Amino acid sequence: MKLLLIEDDLEAARFLHKGLKESGYEVALASDGRDGLRQAQEQTFDLLITDRMLPHLDGLAVVRALREQGVRTPVLVLSALGTVDDRVLGLKAGGDDYLTKPFAFSELLARVEALLRRSAAEKNVPQTRLRVADLEMDLLGRSVTRATKDIQLTAREFKLLEFLMRHADQVVTRTMLLEGVWDLQFDPQTNLIDVHMSRLRQAVDKGFARPLIHTVRGAGYVIRDEDKSA
Amino acid sequence: MKISPLRTSAARLALGYGAIFTLGVGALLGTVYFLTMKVINNDADAVISAELEGLTDAYHRAGLPGLADELSFRGDSWSGTGAVYLLVDPNLVKEGGNLQKWPFEDIPDGQWTQFSIEAQVNGAPVTHPVRASISLLPDNHRLLVGIDVIQQRRFANTFRYAMLWGIGLTALGGAVAGYFLSRRLSRRVQSVAETCDAIVGGDLNRRLSMDGSQDEFDALAQAVNNMVDRLAENTQLLRATFDSAAHDLRGPLYRLRGRLEDAGRMPTTDAPVRAGIDAALTELDRVQRTLATLLQIAQAESGSVAAHHVRVDLAELITDIGELYEPAAREKHLTLRVTATGNCAVNGNRQLLAQAVANLVENSLKYIAPGGHIDIRTQHDTQLVWLEVLDDGPGIAPDDRAGALQPFVRLPQAQSKDGSGLGLSLVAAIARLHHAQLLMEDNQPGLRVRLGFAAGA
Repeated sequence: MKLLLIEDDLEAARFLHKGLKESGYEVALASDGRDGLRQAQEQTFDLLITDRMLPHLDGLAVVRALREQGVRTPVLVLSALGTVDDRVLGLKAGGDDYLTKPFAFSELLARVEALLRRSAAEKNVPQTRLRVADLEMDLLGRSVTRATKDIQLTAREFKLLEFLMRHADQVVTRTMLLEGVWDLQFDPQTNLIDVHMSRLRQAVDKGFARPLIHTVRGAGYVIRDEDKSA
Repeated sequence: MKISPLRTSAARLALGYGAIFTLGVGALLGTVYFLTMKVINNDADAVISAELEGLTDAYHRAGLPGLADELSFRGDSWSGTGAVYLLVDPNLVKEGGNLQKWPFEDIPDGQWTQFSIEAQVNGAPVTHPVRASISLLPDNHRLLVGIDVIQQRRFANTFRYAMLWGIGLTALGGAVAGYFLSRRLSRRVQSVAETCDAIVGGDLNRRLSMDGSQDEFDALAQAVNNMVDRLAENTQLLRATFDSAAHDLRGPLYRLRGRLEDAGRMPTTDAPVRAGIDAALTELDRVQRTLATLLQIAQAESGSVAAHHVRVDLAELITDIGELYEPAAREKHLTLRVTATGNCAVNGNRQLLAQAVANLVENSLKYIAPGGHIDIRTQHDTQLVWLEVLDDGPGIAPDDRAGALQPFVRLPQAQSKDGSGLGLSLVAAIARLHHAQLLMEDNQPGLRVRLGFAAGA
C-alpha cells in the first residue's frame, strides 16, 4: 500500500513516516501543498494524508483540485484547528476523514486502515450479512446469532457490533466508535465506550470458549477470529 | 422586535406637538373670535347709545309729542338699517315707534337687553335677534332703542364653524403627519435593530445601511458601523491570536507526542521506561484536552459557528446522550433517567449542544454519591424549549453559582476531583452561542441546570 503524506512540520512528518513504514506502508512525503498536488497527479496512491494548513496551497484546496480532476483516492485531513465546523468544511471539500492534531499514532493508523478497507469494500456489492467466525449478523432481519444461539441486543448494541464487524480484523478506536455509532465528535472524560464494550462482550463472548472482541492496548478494540489469523 | 408605528417615541412626540399646536391654534382663533365679537357688539352698543342719547335730547327739547314725531321720522328713514324704536307709557302701552308692541312680559332688569322679532321675508318666517337698550323717561314713559343683530349672529356662527374646522384640520394634519413620520422613523429604526441583532448573533460582516442623505440616521449608522468595524477587527485579532497561540502550542505538543510514541515503540525500550512514557502520554492527553476545550470556548464565544446552525431535536439529542452515559452511571450505582417530551427542535450546532449536555452529565456523575439520581429532561413551554439536567448531589451554593461558570474557577468540592475547571464555562459559552438562557437552581437537594432555547423552525 502506497501513501502520500503532505505535512509541512518536518519533524512531525518524520515520526509519522517512520511509524507508517513500521506498520508496513510505503510512504511518499511532500512538504507543501503544491508539491503534494503534483505528486498526487503524477502517481497513483492508495491514500492521501494531508495537513490542513500548508504553505503555497492549503490542504483543502489540494483535495478540491484532485476531486475536480476525478481523482477518487481517499483522503485523511489533519488539522491543528480542530473545531467543529472545520471538520464539516474538511469533509465538504472532499476529504473522507478528519483528524485533529495532536493525535495518538494509533488513532491515525486505525483511520488509515479503515479508509483503505472502505475504498476496497466500496467496489463490492452492499452486504446483507456480516460474519466473523461463528458470529453472524443479519442486517435485514436485524438479528444476531452465534453458533446456534440467538443473541439479544439493544438497538445501540446492534449498531456497535455492526460497526465492529464492518471493520473486522481492524483496530477501531474509541473516537471512531463515538463518531460512527453515536455521531458525536466530542471527547468524553469518562470511559464511556469501555463500559458499552464490556456490555457488548457480555452478550457476544460470554459462554463461548473463544472470545471474538479484543482490546488493543493504547488503541481501541478489534473483532477478530484469532484461530483464523493464527 | 417588531416596532409598531403607533408606539414609537416619534409618535409620542408627534402626538405631543400635535396637541400643543392644536391648542395654540384653538387659543389663537378663540381670542380672535372673542375680540371680534366684542368689537362688533361694542359697535352696536355705541350706535344704540348715540341714538338713545339723541332721542332723549329730543324729549327734553320738545316733550313727548316731539319725541313721537322724531320716532316716526326715524322709523321711516332708518327702517332699512334694522333700527328698532318703541315708546311706551307707564302701563307699557305703545305711544310711538316702529315696533308693534312691548316685546317683554314685564320690565327687564338693567338697561341692556335682547329679544327677537318674528318677521316675514319673502313669505318665510325669520327670527331676527335684536339688541336693545331701554331708558326710563322722567314721566315714567319708557323708550326702547334696538338694532337687528342677525348679521352679527350669522358672522359669529360662520366664524365659530370656521374656527372648529380649523382646529379639527390642524389636529388631523398633525396626526397624519405624525403617523407617516413615525412610520418612516420606525422603519429605519427597525432596520437598524435587525442589523444589530444579526451582528450580536455573530454575523460581524453586517453593516447598517446609509441612504446618503447625511441626516442624523446616517450619522448614527456611520457611528455604529465604525464601532462594529472596530469590534470585528478586535474579534479577528483575538481569534487570530488564539488560533496562532493554539497552533503554536499544538505544534510542539504534536511533536512531543510523536517523539514519546516513537520512543515507546522502540523494541529496545525497557518496561519501566515504557511505563514512564505511557504516564507522560496520559498527562499530555490532559493538556491537549484543556487546550481543545479552550479553543472550543473561544470559538463558541466568537459566534462564527452560528452561521452553520442546523435544526437539532433536543429530545433526540438527550435520548442519545442519556443512552451513551447510562451504563457509566449504572456502573457508579447511579440512576440516569431521560424524559424527552414533545417537539423540541431548536437551531444550533449538534456537536456543541451534545458537548454541553455531556459536560453537565459528567459533572453530576463526578459529584453525586452512589445511589443518587441524574435526570435529563426536555420540555416545551409557551416560549422556550427547556433542556434540564438535574441531580440530587451536593449542588452548588448560591454564591458560588456565577463563579462556577468562569473558566478555571474550581469550587471547594471540586479541588479533590480530576478536571480542568472548564466544563461549565464551555456550557456557558455554548449557551451564549445559542442565545439560550442558562439557569442554575437548587434542586433541593442537588443541582438543577436549565437551558432555555428559542424554538427552532
